[in-house]
Amino acid sequence: MAKFEWEDVCIDVDEDGFMEEPDQWNERVAVGLATTEGVDDLTEEHWKLVHYLRDYYAKYGIAPMIRKLCKETGFPLKKVYELFPSGPAKGACKVAGLAKPTGCV
Amino acid sequence: MAKERSYKAQKVIDRMGKKLNRQIVGSLVACVHCGNCTDSCHYVLANPGDPTYAPAYKADKIRSIFKRHFDWTGRLFPWWVHAKSLYTDEDLEELKDTVFGKCTNCRRCTINCPMGVDLATFNRMARGLLVSVGVMPEGVSVVSKDQWEIGNQMGVLKEDYIDTLEWLTEEMQMEDPKSPGIPIDSMEADVVYSINPREVKYDPRTISDAAIIFNAAGEKWTMPAEDWDMTNFGLFSGDDDLGGGVARRLFEKVVAIKGKKLVISECGHGYRSTRCEGPNWAKQDVSFPMESSVITMLEYIKSGKIKVDKSKNPGKFTFHDSCNNARSCGLTEEPRELLRLVCDDFQEMYPNRAENFCCTGGGGAMSMSEYTPRRLKSGKVKADQLKATGAEIVVTSCHNCVDGLTDLIKHYKLDMKVTQLVNLVANALVIEKPVEVPVEEVAAPVEVTPTEVEALVLKGYKILVADDEPDFVTFVSTVLEDNGAEVVKAYDGNQALEMARKEKPDLMTLDITMPGKSGIEVFEILRSDDELASIPVCIMTGKPELRQLIYERAVKPPEGYVDKPIDEDSIVLNIRKILELDKGKVK
Repeated sequence: MAKFEWEDVCIDVDEDGFMEEPDQWNERVAVGLATTEGVDDLTEEHWKLVHYLRDYYAKYGIAPMIRKLCKETGFPLKKVYELFPSGPAKGACKVAGLAKPTGCV
Repeated sequence: MAKERSYKAQKVIDRMGKKLNRQIVGSLVACVHCGNCTDSCHYVLANPGDPTYAPAYKADKIRSIFKRHFDWTGRLFPWWVHAKSLYTDEDLEELKDTVFGKCTNCRRCTINCPMGVDLATFNRMARGLLVSVGVMPEGVSVVSKDQWEIGNQMGVLKEDYIDTLEWLTEEMQMEDPKSPGIPIDSMEADVVYSINPREVKYDPRTISDAAIIFNAAGEKWTMPAEDWDMTNFGLFSGDDDLGGGVARRLFEKVVAIKGKKLVISECGHGYRSTRCEGPNWAKQDVSFPMESSVITMLEYIKSGKIKVDKSKNPGKFTFHDSCNNARSCGLTEEPRELLRLVCDDFQEMYPNRAENFCCTGGGGAMSMSEYTPRRLKSGKVKADQLKATGAEIVVTSCHNCVDGLTDLIKHYKLDMKVTQLVNLVANALVIEKPVEVPVEEVAAPVEVTPTEVEALVLKGYKILVADDEPDFVTFVSTVLEDNGAEVVKAYDGNQALEMARKEKPDLMTLDITMPGKSGIEVFEILRSDDELASIPVCIMTGKPELRQLIYERAVKPPEGYVDKPIDEDSIVLNIRKILELDKGKVK
């Protein structure tokens, strides 16, 4: 298991940098993780997406389909990629503290 | 007293006996430890001081078990031939670390092996044996479970899949109200389009792009409502039952909706699993042709069904060959041809085609986080390769490669982007004002029922048989003529070329060793001649060891390759298959 350290943040992550213990997540952690995905500033829109992902994950234990994400947040697909250039699976899910998505991603 | 063996270790040994076939045993006994494979492996190149990454070393881990239990030398003199058995669960874990964590089954060592040892084939067998006793990386287990139980590797439910496709249709119709969007489960479509679940779950832009292209070409196409996953974790886990189950579902779905052709989106392992391995795993004859969407898109442009404008894709491009596409399926020329049609500045990567290095994400590695640090380290050679091209955009026809390369670009801080051909083709599309076609005028699809194609299956085809053995020419000609073909004959290389020019055959069979120009020279001349390049060639040779000489040419590989001796049924079967796949020649 690896550690992610950024300023005062120190959390357990897997070898791909996704959180091992979702309970350790807080907004400070999210800001730190975002720096690894090329997002230096989390705007209100970023938070809206991140909070949706966390709520969905808490309820169902998996990452939502991109369709659900766009429908519920009201963001078009293009916007999601603007907010998180590395995409919803690797970028947004990582910042929201979800485990690494399974399969070919 | 005999050493005690754990339950799982005993099962692995028992089951190994059932997995051994000629190909695997041939590879297990043939290694002469010459070391040629060592430098061909990206893991070795990144870890020069660590012998445990050498393909021959990795192979020996499996080979030693085979020797101990199945080869007479190992049973009689185990110490002499380095035979070794498995005893504990720790031994299995150690084997797992090698077969899953130190090899992506990319087969680059195989093509560099003078003895033809196919490490990936028995590495996959070893993975399958471990999986059968539950020893596997967690990622592989989760994905396999979803693929077994839900029917696709990301556990996408049917309603979510349909909902997503409908949403994409709505988006397309916002741009163009007349767009047909994505037809779902249309009966008797000419093209059934199958995808990788990551497209529908995380990045559906590739689906929209494909839909825009199909619709622009006026294609009668559809996507299946279920059983649409063309990826197959059976290839990675070595579980032939899973491989067969997944492939069978897709095949049966195409038959159920009476699809005419299955088109597979740009995915290396999906293409190989579905088109090349699937029918064997599923133990099923597949009655419809299958092709990569690369071929479909290329055909649309070449036949004028769609028009593209290169200038819409500015920038410097290079192409990365996926190991499953290039090394295992020979799909090397079509993607380049297509790329050159949709961009101006294309720079080849070296080495390339079948010799290209793995993206490091192959063999399911993207789903095994525990090995990520090794994977990124082994990617040094790939990163250097990418950098040397000076390109800004790397194009690949594989989703795994997209993710593998993206990881490397980030890790090695390269200033590059990754994209796929479908995105470039869609972006370069020139949509002309649609011509209104009243529905009644659309011609009804022509039904081709198998019963119409009876006895004389080769009727109407002209076939050139080139071989220096008169007896063989007579034999093959008789078989072809009996099946309705018109046959022309050539007995040496020069004559073969002359006849090809004069007769313009629908197909030619070609011997490799002939007087005058050899078959290899003839083949290269044919392929480099614009007029003759499209004639499908079936190599028929008594010297299969010369295969490499043909495949290492910088030209499109032959459409067929059969070893002599060959019987009547195989001749007809091979020739028919080539003619059927060679679009435009189906009569």
